[in-house]
Amino acid sequence: MKKSIILFAMVGLTTLAFAQKKQTTTSATIIFDATTSLDKLPKADNKTVVASLDTKTGNLAFESVIKSFTFSNPKMQEHFNGDKWMDSDKFATATFSGKITNLSAVNFKKDGTYNANVTGDLSLHGITKPVTTVASIIVLGKTISTTTNFSVKLADYGVNGGAIAAGKVATEPKISVTADFK
Amino acid sequence: MQTTNKRSWIKKVFVIILVLLLAGGIAIYLIFTEKFEDTQKQSAAFSISADELLKEFQTNESAANKKYIEKIILVNGKIVETEAVDSAINIKMKDTLTGSYIIFAFQDQHIKDAKQFKEGDNVSIKGSCSGGIYSKILETEFISFKRCALNK
Repeated sequence: MKKSIILFAMVGLTTLAFAQKKQTTTSATIIFDATTSLDKLPKADNKTVVASLDTKTGNLAFESVIKSFTFSNPKMQEHFNGDKWMDSDKFATATFSGKITNLSAVNFKKDGTYNANVTGDLSLHGITKPVTTVASIIVLGKTISTTTNFSVKLADYGVNGGAIAAGKVATEPKISVTADFK
Repeated sequence: MQTTNKRSWIKKVFVIILVLLLAGGIAIYLIFTEKFEDTQKQSAAFSISADELLKEFQTNESAANKKYIEKIILVNGKIVETEAVDSAINIKMKDTLTGSYIIFAFQDQHIKDAKQFKEGDNVSIKGSCSGGIYSKILETEFISFKRCALNK
């Protein structure tokens, strides 16, 4: 009986130790900025992005529901979700799955600011392409804050349209991703 | 006589074109300067408890998405978790058995209301449903809401 209790306790502690390495949040933020000098409307944010970070392996991932992007203008939001743009009825999410390639340069146990090289696959509009970027990681106590900025070429993801050709929507919108893991 | 008629006809066409151009211009201006209405002032298409809504999505995600996406829904339930997002806050209601959850992101003018909420509070929140999806990261179903407001 005593042995069983000890065994259960050990299994429990091991599971907890492993579970703590992968941290998740359901409130990461993505800002999508496709504004140009001609049009300031194509800008939106999604504050309910799911993200995960495994501090042991350096694996990073996020899932963003396209319909969760909020624009200030209803017509712009409708265009963004429409079949000529993101076609969100068909392609409901944008996902990223990658890893930190210089993991040894980041000490998750010591407070500080670190630059992490991140490489992975970004899936958008049903098309997956490799993306490489630098993420800023701030470790403060038990909180790990990550921020990265990069741009995507819409044509690479099969997103084309009159508004892009007319210069009203940036051909390479800026994407900013922020996630706090606690 | 004929010249006067012709002139008057040209004048009429010119005025009609001008009016049409002006109307078109105003319509385009209104469409692209329009902002989303305050959700608090909008009437909800559905009123439902968090548990029932989660159950509907878990049972048939596709049918539930068709029913609720982009509609204003009033959800009643208990706050299980709050999550800080920059200077704002997201509210979560959850099925603690399966881990599936509903998350509400608030309209800018209602963030201050959201900050008053505590875990365990029973609340009624109105928002635009962005749909439900199975998260491969969390291995659970989640439903997200945007432009939310406390129901008053």
